[in-house]
Amino acid sequence: MKKSITLVILLFVSLFTTAQNTEKEKKKDSIVALDEVQLITIIKKKIETDMKMAVTVDEFLASSDNISFIKRGAYAWEPLLNNMSSERSTITIDGMHVFGACTDKMDPITSYVESNNLSKIDIKSGQEGSMHGSTVAGSIDLKRKSTPFNLSKKWNGAYQTGFEFNNKQFFNLANASYSGSKFVADGSLAYRKAENYSDGNTEEVKHSQFTKFNASLGLAYKTSELSSVKVEAIYDEAKDVGYPALPMDLWLSRALITSATYKQLFKEGLFRALDTKIYFNAIEHYMDDTTRPENLVHMDMPGWSTTYGLLSKANLKSNNFSSEIQLNAYNNLSTAEMRMYPQDRSERSMFAYSWPAVTTTFAGLSLNNSWEISDKSQLNFGGALGINYNHSKYVEFNWIFHPGTPQEKTRILPSLHAGYQLDIKNFNFSVGGGYGHRAPSVSEGYGYYIYNSFDRYDYIGNPDLKNEISYEGNASAGYKDDKFSLQANVNYFYIENYIIGRILSLGSPMNYQSVGVKGYTSLEYSTLFNFSLNTSYTILDNLHWKGVLTYARGKDDNKNNLPFIRPLSYQSSIHYKYNRFNFQTSVNGDLEQINYSPEYGEDQTPSYTIWNLSADYTFKIKDYKTVVQVGAENILNEHYSTYADWGNIPRMGRNIFTSLKFNF
Amino acid sequence: MKKNIFFVIAALVAVTSCTLDKTDYESEISTEVVEHFEYNEVVSINKNNYQIRIEALNGTLYKGYNDIHLTITNTQTNENISSSNVTFLPINTNYSGNNASCPHQYNLNYSTENDYYSGYAVFTSEGNELENWEVHISFTDNGETYTVNQDIIVEEQTNMNLNMTAFTANDGEQYFIALVAPQKPKIAENELVAGIYKYNQPSNEAGTFPDPSQFSYTEVSNYTLLLDPRMPEPSMGNHSSPNNQDLTQQEDGLYYGTVNYTMTGNWTLNFRLQNPDGDIIKGTEVSTDFTPGIEGERSELHIDILF
Repeated sequence: MKKSITLVILLFVSLFTTAQNTEKEKKKDSIVALDEVQLITIIKKKIETDMKMAVTVDEFLASSDNISFIKRGAYAWEPLLNNMSSERSTITIDGMHVFGACTDKMDPITSYVESNNLSKIDIKSGQEGSMHGSTVAGSIDLKRKSTPFNLSKKWNGAYQTGFEFNNKQFFNLANASYSGSKFVADGSLAYRKAENYSDGNTEEVKHSQFTKFNASLGLAYKTSELSSVKVEAIYDEAKDVGYPALPMDLWLSRALITSATYKQLFKEGLFRALDTKIYFNAIEHYMDDTTRPENLVHMDMPGWSTTYGLLSKANLKSNNFSSEIQLNAYNNLSTAEMRMYPQDRSERSMFAYSWPAVTTTFAGLSLNNSWEISDKSQLNFGGALGINYNHSKYVEFNWIFHPGTPQEKTRILPSLHAGYQLDIKNFNFSVGGGYGHRAPSVSEGYGYYIYNSFDRYDYIGNPDLKNEISYEGNASAGYKDDKFSLQANVNYFYIENYIIGRILSLGSPMNYQSVGVKGYTSLEYSTLFNFSLNTSYTILDNLHWKGVLTYARGKDDNKNNLPFIRPLSYQSSIHYKYNRFNFQTSVNGDLEQINYSPEYGEDQTPSYTIWNLSADYTFKIKDYKTVVQVGAENILNEHYSTYADWGNIPRMGRNIFTSLKFNF
Repeated sequence: MKKNIFFVIAALVAVTSCTLDKTDYESEISTEVVEHFEYNEVVSINKNNYQIRIEALNGTLYKGYNDIHLTITNTQTNENISSSNVTFLPINTNYSGNNASCPHQYNLNYSTENDYYSGYAVFTSEGNELENWEVHISFTDNGETYTVNQDIIVEEQTNMNLNMTAFTANDGEQYFIALVAPQKPKIAENELVAGIYKYNQPSNEAGTFPDPSQFSYTEVSNYTLLLDPRMPEPSMGNHSSPNNQDLTQQEDGLYYGTVNYTMTGNWTLNFRLQNPDGDIIKGTEVSTDFTPGIEGERSELHIDILF
């Protein structure tokens, strides 16, 4: 802790001293605005939901209709994109690859950022998301806040605090930025502390507490009229995080995510922008199961993940044709250990690697083109080609189940996609397709006795797995006028060599709670279908209604159901604005899970409905805009768990939340 | 810019120091077991004009299986004897004066290539104040037979991977199983080598001491040693491993199989001994259930190892 405090102090000392220096220099320099060039535009989303302005990253992602979550507790939910687990999507922070250090996926990348250091989250479905690396499900790119250079020097800041009554979560989020014509600095601090939450029967869910500290800093300097350098860092530390659905908790996880970026813009010519970033991130993750009295044996499962990377992006534009070319290269080392102790901690009873120091090196070139055929129609097409290399240092652990398997493996990962968009008056249509490979993840390829508490099996990786190959098709149709909008999206994935765990007849389990051993194997194929319908209607100028319906279906090659496929779900919300008051209410829920998968350890989850309500009031204290919000989630105190709740742990019951935000 | 460098250094300091150190795997594996490759002199005996040298791994005889090299040098001609019949008989004398032996090769083989006589002895106990080991060696040279007796020291085998067990089987015979290899197992499929021996009950009255017919042991032939390795500690819940192979006899008389260790820790090799007729003459089948929290049940015939 001491170390981290010193680090933070150092960060801020350097921030302020540099800020002062530049103020003096600024006067001498001529003033030219550096515009952000963004050729392929994406709608910016503010990191808050309709219901709640102080959300966690997880809650924010949950408001997107193609994201669902596996939840192992109140913290660090694993995002599922298009109903596929996180190995199938690329999750990046500003294009940087970061890999969690926990073999049990207790630390998805989304757990290492905080809502006040992000500006938006880009979600791309399927092969359109291959820009940052090979994928099947798509990509989730978490965009860090960046402050543009400003003609007149300007300070901005916000402070937000709040309390949630159910789990006594107290949070403080602060961010500040300074922008001048030559120099920009921004930073954020966040601290959340929550105790155990209570379920719908007002029973405490033990081991669901968490504490999280997050800090980020960005410094940018304009090196010339059209170029700038930027260094950024995110530090995240979570301590004493309970995972009620797992037999162990988190003692400490720390992440340091750093990058340096050089950006060059061009006024004329084919090349319009060049953006090169080098990055480094290190994650450590230590579990703790000594707080669980039911464990007669204690197992430390520390994990480390270190990644170095390079990202270089060029934007080209010529008339109605624009392209984006991106080079991605990274090197990751993932190591995780298992050490068991009987209750007497001095006696060690075993040692093994659950990730035997596995190196993943990836290099790939991605291309995305956009051709505006006419005002009404546009063609997007692109592709990527990547090389993925794996090396397992302690290959003897892989040889136990796969004798003689090579220590190294190189894979070629191609990807192609195309889409056509057409707008006719109030209607819009799109159709597209894609093809792409992905390499197995470290756990799927090289994992060793990784305990999965959902189906209670120990999982063994297989280094000889074939690439997963995805063929996808997608289409959408929509209508929009001043008052009413309706948008339907469908996509269909046919995935060859679909990787999933199958029971191994050989081998016996190792982890305390497990019932058997599963090995990752490839199914011949599986299919996935996703459908979503979004609609909105403006009843009055200050009264809006929105509705979302999603449906998905996943089957394996024997026409059995795949696990973790969301049943038919719905969401309906009304927003009413009156003077400086805003009122929102929403109802959301899932229907009964009909197509569950007992083969893969699922049981049927009943339907549930949640009703939420919130109100906020905006006013000014002096010149500062202030918003105060009060609301309640799960007002009816429904006792429920969702299809993807690990171990059917009940979700949070009625939760009253309050929050106060100042903008400076 | 200086400040940025300062920041980068601060960040690097924070990064390069892990909160908990990683396990040093190489030392984790190597400190547990000392492997021996060198044959060194255990004892040297002078008899008339002959010098007899006994060599074993690390220059020490241990409880359990020992490969033995023996050279007899004529000190006058400084030449090694190569055409003699050399016999080798270890004898244990306990505090009450009772004599016993242990599985051993009585007639040693001469190896032309290496220029020594070779054999083995499976010592069943360590020497101490209460019992004492000696070897009786005889050889002939130039038509004359020489015999020598020499006290030897048998030390405790600290490497549990070379443990042994002695038992009386259902057929009433006395058997011995001694592990020969691997000295230092790996997390991998290990070739498991064991010697299986039987005490030949004497059919005649004892002659003059030491009468080899009273102390006769043989390697058993065409038996099968069925193997089921498991981790016995309660925390390991009777964990086992895949791809293990039962031990069968190869040309050199020893029994070879495969044991797969999935992780370091305490392991038990659960055995069942099957005679050439296919009958199990010792050992019980152990449960294959995963029983966390309960000490793993062992076969009545087993050897514990630590790895």
